[in-house]
Amino acid sequence: MKLGFVLISFIFCGLIAKSVYSSKPRDPYLGVAPEDHKYYKSSAVIPCKDGSKEFTKAQLNDDFCDCSDGTDEPGTSACPSGKFFCRNAGHVSRFLYSSRVNDGICDCCDGSDEYDGKVKCPNNCWEAGKVARDKLKRKIVTYEEGILLRKQEVEEARLALARDEAELSKLSKEESMLKGIVQQLKEHKEQIEKVEEKERLRKEKEEKQKKEAERKANEENPKLDGEDTQQSNEAVEQSEGKDSDVASNHDRSGSINDSPIQKDVEEDQKLADVLDNVNGAPNSPGSEGSTHIRAEEGNDLPESTEGLSKEELGRLVASRWTGENPTKQSGEADATINKADEDSEDIPQETNHEEYESYVSETDDDSHKYDDIDVEDEMDEDFHEEHEDLSSYKSDSDITPDLSDDITANNPSWLEKIQKAARNIFQAVNFFQTPVNQSDAARVRREYDESSTKLSKLQSRISSLKQKLKHDFGPEKEFYSCYDRCFESKQNKYTYKVCPYKEASQEEGYSTTRLGRWDKFEDSYRVMVFSNGDKCWNGPDRSLKVRLRCGLTNEITDVDEPSRCEYVAFLSTPAVCREEKLKELQHKLDLMNKEQPQSHDEL
Amino acid sequence: MRNFNLHLLLLVILGLHLSSVFSWKQDEFRNCNQTPFCKRARARKPGSCSLVARDVSISDGDLVAKLISENPEVVEGQSEIKPLILTLSVYQDGIMWLKVDEDQSLGTPKKRFEVPDVVVSEFSSKKLWLQRLSTETIGADSSPSSIVYLSDGHEAVLRHDPFEVYVRDGAGNRVVSLNSHGLFDFEQLREKKEEDDWEERFRSHTDTRPYGPQSISFDVSFYGADFVYGIPEHATSFALKPTRGPNIEHSEPYRLFNLDVFEYLHDSPFGLYGSIPYMISHGKSGRTSGFFWLNAAEMQIDVLGTGWDAESGISLPSSQSRIDTFWMSEAGIVDAFLFIGPEPKDVMRQYITVTGTPAMPQLFSTAYHQCRWNYRDEEDVENVDSTFDEHDIPYDVLWLDIEHTDGKRYFTWDSVLFPHPEEMQRKLAAKGRHMVTIVDPHIKRDESFHLHKEAMEKGYYVKDAKGNDYDGWCWPGSSSYPDTLNPEIRSWWADKFSFQNYVGSTPSLYIWNDMNEPSVFNGPEVTMPRDCLHYGGVEHRELHNVYGYYFHMATADGLVKRGEGKDRPFVLSRAFFAGTQRYGAVWTGDNSADWDQLRVSVPMTLTLGVTGLPFSGADVGGFFGNPETELLVRWYQLGAFYPFFRAHAHHDTRRREPWLFGEQNTEIIKDSIRVRYALLPYFYTLFREANLTGTPVLRPLWMEFPSDEATFSNDEAFMVGNSLLVQGIYTERAKHVSVYLPGKQPWYDLRTGTVYKGGLTHKLKATEESIPAFQRAGTIVPRKDRFRRSSTQMINDPYSLVIALNSSQAAEGELYIDDGSSFDFLQGAYIHRRFVFADRKLTSVNLAPASQGSAQYHSNAVIERIILLGYSSHAKNALIEPSNEKVEIENAPLWIQRSQGPLVMTIRRPNVGVADNWTIKIS
Repeated sequence: MKLGFVLISFIFCGLIAKSVYSSKPRDPYLGVAPEDHKYYKSSAVIPCKDGSKEFTKAQLNDDFCDCSDGTDEPGTSACPSGKFFCRNAGHVSRFLYSSRVNDGICDCCDGSDEYDGKVKCPNNCWEAGKVARDKLKRKIVTYEEGILLRKQEVEEARLALARDEAELSKLSKEESMLKGIVQQLKEHKEQIEKVEEKERLRKEKEEKQKKEAERKANEENPKLDGEDTQQSNEAVEQSEGKDSDVASNHDRSGSINDSPIQKDVEEDQKLADVLDNVNGAPNSPGSEGSTHIRAEEGNDLPESTEGLSKEELGRLVASRWTGENPTKQSGEADATINKADEDSEDIPQETNHEEYESYVSETDDDSHKYDDIDVEDEMDEDFHEEHEDLSSYKSDSDITPDLSDDITANNPSWLEKIQKAARNIFQAVNFFQTPVNQSDAARVRREYDESSTKLSKLQSRISSLKQKLKHDFGPEKEFYSCYDRCFESKQNKYTYKVCPYKEASQEEGYSTTRLGRWDKFEDSYRVMVFSNGDKCWNGPDRSLKVRLRCGLTNEITDVDEPSRCEYVAFLSTPAVCREEKLKELQHKLDLMNKEQPQSHDEL
Repeated sequence: MRNFNLHLLLLVILGLHLSSVFSWKQDEFRNCNQTPFCKRARARKPGSCSLVARDVSISDGDLVAKLISENPEVVEGQSEIKPLILTLSVYQDGIMWLKVDEDQSLGTPKKRFEVPDVVVSEFSSKKLWLQRLSTETIGADSSPSSIVYLSDGHEAVLRHDPFEVYVRDGAGNRVVSLNSHGLFDFEQLREKKEEDDWEERFRSHTDTRPYGPQSISFDVSFYGADFVYGIPEHATSFALKPTRGPNIEHSEPYRLFNLDVFEYLHDSPFGLYGSIPYMISHGKSGRTSGFFWLNAAEMQIDVLGTGWDAESGISLPSSQSRIDTFWMSEAGIVDAFLFIGPEPKDVMRQYITVTGTPAMPQLFSTAYHQCRWNYRDEEDVENVDSTFDEHDIPYDVLWLDIEHTDGKRYFTWDSVLFPHPEEMQRKLAAKGRHMVTIVDPHIKRDESFHLHKEAMEKGYYVKDAKGNDYDGWCWPGSSSYPDTLNPEIRSWWADKFSFQNYVGSTPSLYIWNDMNEPSVFNGPEVTMPRDCLHYGGVEHRELHNVYGYYFHMATADGLVKRGEGKDRPFVLSRAFFAGTQRYGAVWTGDNSADWDQLRVSVPMTLTLGVTGLPFSGADVGGFFGNPETELLVRWYQLGAFYPFFRAHAHHDTRRREPWLFGEQNTEIIKDSIRVRYALLPYFYTLFREANLTGTPVLRPLWMEFPSDEATFSNDEAFMVGNSLLVQGIYTERAKHVSVYLPGKQPWYDLRTGTVYKGGLTHKLKATEESIPAFQRAGTIVPRKDRFRRSSTQMINDPYSLVIALNSSQAAEGELYIDDGSSFDFLQGAYIHRRFVFADRKLTSVNLAPASQGSAQYHSNAVIERIILLGYSSHAKNALIEPSNEKVEIENAPLWIQRSQGPLVMTIRRPNVGVADNWTIKIS
C-alpha cells in the first residue's frame, strides 16, 4: 500500500511537472456519486446528462467544461453548474457546488474537495460524524415518541370530530323542532298582544294628557344624555377600528377629544408644520400667512419652527428616516397609544358578547361571523387557563357553561320540557279572551322568551361548530387539537401568543399587537401562516409564519422579525412527527454507521 | 420598531399631507431667490463688469496683473474698491491656473479661504515657468491683450479692457473663456459699520454672517461645444439642460451644496450629497475642454440657453458653437483651472493631474456588496452569509449600518447584538469575504464616550459662531463634529482605526463614511450653520462642500496607517469633492425604489465618472421603499455594471436578498451577479486604467465615439471601458428596447454573440433574463468563467478571452493583474498584458516596463478558453508558440453555463500562462 502510494505520487508529480497550470484530479472519477459510476464507465463517449453534447473519456475531469450542466467535470471547478460528490465515509455524503472544488476552503469532511495542494484538508468525518450521528439518534428518539403521541392525537381527533358531527346533526334536528315551537309561541304571543293593543288604545285616549307629559320628558332626556350618545358612537367606531380599518380610525381620532391619540395627531401636525414652514424666510410672506391660519386651527401649535427646541427639531428631522415617533419620550408615547388600541380591542369584545346574548337570529348569521370568532377567542383563554395540562382533551370547550348545562349535556329532557310547557300553554290558555288573563299572558311571554333564547343559543352553537368543522385540520386531522389551543412564548419584554386557526399576537405589558389572523397552512402542513395583522407604519401589514417541527410538547420558540413586521417562529409539535420522515432518518443513520472511515492513504 | 402602533394615525395624517409632500421638501432648502448672493448675482446684466487689467507683467514664472475698476460707480456708504490681483500660471499638458484674490498687502479684514489639500503636491512640479509675454491687439479691440504660450499651439490670452481671459488654439479659435460677457463680480471684504445688518435668516435659523457679503460670480464660455456635463451631484440628465434663457422654463441654477436630502427627486438641479465644481464641454467638432473652480463655498451654476445674451450687445465669434455658463459662489477666491483637451480623454488626464489619480481599489471592493440597514445581529449576518452559499451566489462584502454600534457611538459594538465581532469577521474572512462598518462624523456628546471626551478636551470639534463646541443633532442625539480641516485632527482621527483603538476590528474590516455633508438634523437645511468656525478661523460657509472630503481622507488615511502602509484602504463616502477619487468610492445616496431613480442612476454615475470619480454606483433596489420584483431584477441587471455594485435598503423595507423572489428571479439575479464576477478581470483592468489616466470605468458613449453626435445626450446607455456597451431597461413590462450602437464597426450581443450593425438604432425584444449589452468589434475582453464564493477564491482561476473581431479580422484588449490588495503594484508588482489579434494570430504582449522595479507579481493562472466572435472562416486547430502545442478548436456556447443559444468558435484549453509571452496561430 505504502509503496503504491509513493509510486503513484511519483507519477503524479510527473504529471504536475508536465502541465503546471492544470488542476486535473488524480482519480478520473473524482466527484462522481457511486450510483453514477456506471454512467461514466458505460461507453467511450459519454453524453452530457442534459443531452446538449457528448464527451470522450479523456474529457472527463480534464478541467475544461464541455457540458453546460457539468456532466463532464464532476471532480473539478470547470463547470459552473457542476456538482461534486464527497463520500465523507463515517459522516453524511453530500454534493457540493463545483465552485467549492479547489477553492482553498475545506468543505468535505474527508477533504476530497481540495486536491491541488494549496491547502491540506484533514479527514475528520468520523469525529464530525459522531456528533452528527448522536444528534440524529436523539432526533430519531424524538420522532419515535412523537409518532406515538401523534397517533394518539389522530385517534382522539377522529373521535372528537365524530362527536362534533353527531352533535351538529343532533342540534340541527333540535333546532328545527324548537323553531316550530317558537313560531307557535310567537303566534300566540302576537295574538295576545293584538288583544292587549286594542285594550291599550282604548285606555290611551283616557290618559292622553299624562302621556304627553311623559313624551316631553323623553324628548328632553336625549339632550341631557348627549355625551352618552357620543360615547356609544365611539364604541361602535372603535369596534370598527378593530378590523384595522384605517378610515374608521381616522373617524375615531376625529371624534375623541383630548385622548392620547389626538395628542399625537397634534404632534404630527407639528411635524408637518415645521416642515411646511420655510415660510420663516422673510421673502415669502404669502406662505407665512398660511402658517398663521394653520396655527389658529390647531389648539396650541407653535407659530413656527422657533417654537421648537433645537433638540425637537433634530428629532423631527431624524424621524423621517427612522419613522420613529419624534416626541421626546417616544417609549412612553408608544405605550399610551398601545393602550388606547388595546381598549379598542376590548370594548367590541364586550359589545359583541352582549349582542350575542341578547340578539341572535338566523338572518343575522353572516354579519356576526367575526363576533363569533371573538367570542370563541374569549373562550379560548378560559380554556387555556383551565386546562393547563396540554395532554388532556376536551372537544366541547368552546361553549358557554350554561349552554353546556342544558343543550349539549346528554340530557335531552330540556327539549321535552319546553315541548311539554308549550303544549300545556296551548291547551290551557284561551287566546281570544278579552281582556287577557294577565297571568296567562305572562306565562306565554315567558315561555316564548325562554325558548327563543334557547333557540338563539342553539343556533349560535351550531354556527360555531360549523365554523370549526370548516377548517383544514390536516390530512389525518392531526391539527384538530390545536384548534382550541394557544401557545405562548416569552422573549425579552414581549410575550408572543399563537392561537392556530385564530390569530397570533405580541404582548408587551398591557399593549397587544396583532401579528396576524389565521390564514392557512403552507409547504404541505409544515408552516402555519397568519396574515393581515396590524398595519405597520411605513410598512406592510404584520404577518407571522410559524414553522412546525417534530417535538414532544407543543412549544413556540425563536420568534424573530427578519424583515420589518414580518415575523417567523418555530412551533414544535407531535403533529408533524411523521413516519416517513422517521424512516428517512433511520436510513440516514444506517448509512452513517455502515460507512466506517477508510485510512487516508487509500488512493 | 417591533411595536409601533402609531402607524395607523400617522398614515391618516400623511394621507392628508400627501399633496404637499413635494412642496415641503423643496421648501426646506433654499432656492436662489432665498439666497441673497445668488439672487444678486443672477440679477446682474451682461457687461456690468467694469474691471480692466493693469500692470500686466511676468513675475515668478507667472503672469500677474491688477484688476482695477475703470469707472467705479461710487455707492453711498461703501468703501472704495481696491484692486484685485490676478495670477495666471501655465502647467504641462495644456493646463492653465487662474487666480483672482484681494491684495493682502492692502489690508483686508480676513484672509479669504483657499481650499488646501485638494491640488496634489506633485502638480507644482509640472509648472512651466513663464519667461515672457507678448502683447497684441486682437481684432477690433481698442486695447491690447497679453499673451502667453500654453501648450500644443494653444495660448492663454488676457484681454485688458474689458478684462477677459481665454484660451485659443493655433488657428486662433477660442477654446474656453472667462468674463466674455462681463458678468465678473468680486465682493470685497470690508469692515462692518454700525448700520450694516448682515444677518440672514432662513426658517428658524439665523446666520450671523460676521464678515458680510463676499461672493464671487463670473461667466465661462465653452467653444466648439454642443453640451456641457459635470458639476455633480444632481439627480438629473447627463447633458446639462439650460437653466436660463429664452424659451426655457424657469429653473433654479445647478446648486453645489452638500446636503442630506430626504427622498430626493429624480429630475432636479438641487444640490445633493457631494460637489465637484468641474464642468466639461463637448461638441461635434470633437473638441472637449474643461473648467474647474476650486472653491468649497456654496456654488450656484447656470447653464445659459442659446440667445440668453441677445440684448447684451456683446458679440462673440459666432463661427463656433458655444455654451455659456454662469458661476456664483458665496465666498472664497477665484481659483480656477482651464483644461484644453482636445480629446475627451485628454481632459480627464489633465483634470487628474491637478486633483490626483483615482485610487486603485482592492479587488474585493470591485465585486458585489450586500448591505441593509440593518443586519441585526451576528445570527442574521451568519444566515445571510450562508444563504448566499446555499444558492451559490457569490458576494464579497457584508455591510453593517448604524445599528451595529452601542447607541450610535462609532467604533463600538452593540454588546447584545454583536457580542463577538472579531469572530464574526473571522468567519466571513475564512470564506474570503470582508465586512464594512459605518463610521459617521457626528460624535455622541456623552461624557462616558472616550472619543467624545478626548475630542472635547483636545478642542478638536468644529466651533459654533460663539466659539463653543458646535452641538448639533444626528443619529446619536446631541453630537459634535471633528474639525477635519486641521491636519493634526485628521491624523488623530486616522489613529482611531488602528486595531488597538477600534476594538473588535480585524484586518478584513473596512469603513463606510455616511452623513459627512455633514448632515445635522436640526441645522439649517439639515446641515451645519454657515457661521460655525473651523481651524484657522475659517467659516463653515467657506469650506462646507469640502468638509466631507477631509473626513473621508482622514478615514482612508486611518486604514492605510492601520495596515502599516501595506493594505489599500476601502472607504465608501456619501459626501465628496474634487479629489475624492484619491480616497475611495462614493454612492449616490438615499435613492428610492422606483423606475425613475433606476433611470437617473446612469447619468449620475456617468457624471461622477467624467468629473474624475470612477468608483461609484447607486444603491441597487433603491434605498427607500419596496421595489417590485421586476424593478429589483432590472436594477441588479444594470447595477452589475456600476463600478461600485452594492445592494442596500432602508430598515422599513421588506427583506430583499437575492433569493427572496422565487426561483426564477433568484436565477436571473444570480446570473446578473455572476456576469459581474465573470467580468471582474476586465473591471479590474479598467480600474487600473482609471488609476493611470483618469479615464472612467463607466463612460459616456461620446468618450469612445467623440464625433458621433447621436451619442452626445444619450444617458440611457453607457460604455464599460472601451469594449462594452450597456443599455438599461427603465420601464415596467417593457416589450421592446431601443439601443443606439455607435460607430461603423459591428457589435456582438454579450449574451449570445449575435452581431448587430453599428451606427444604427436597433429595436430589440426586451427579455426577462438580461438587459441589452454588447461587445464592440475590435476588442478583447478577459473573463473568468468559474464562480466561487467570493472574488478571493478566484485569484488562481483560469481566464477566458473573448475576441470580438472587426471587419479587418483584428482586435485587441488588455489585462491587468496584481495581488488585489497591497501597494506593491506601485513598485511594479503587477502583470499587464496586451492581447493583439491580427492575421489569424493572437499574441500576448507585455505592457509592464522591462525594469519592473523592486517587486514582482507572479501568477500561474492560465487562459483556458479563447472565444472568437466574427471569425470569417473555419478552423479545426490552433498552434501555440513557442511550445509548439496543437490545440483543438470547437463550437461551444459563449457562456458555458448556458447551453441554449448559438455556438461560437472556441479554442479549447490552450492553457497558456497569463503572464507569459506567446502566440496562438489559427491553422
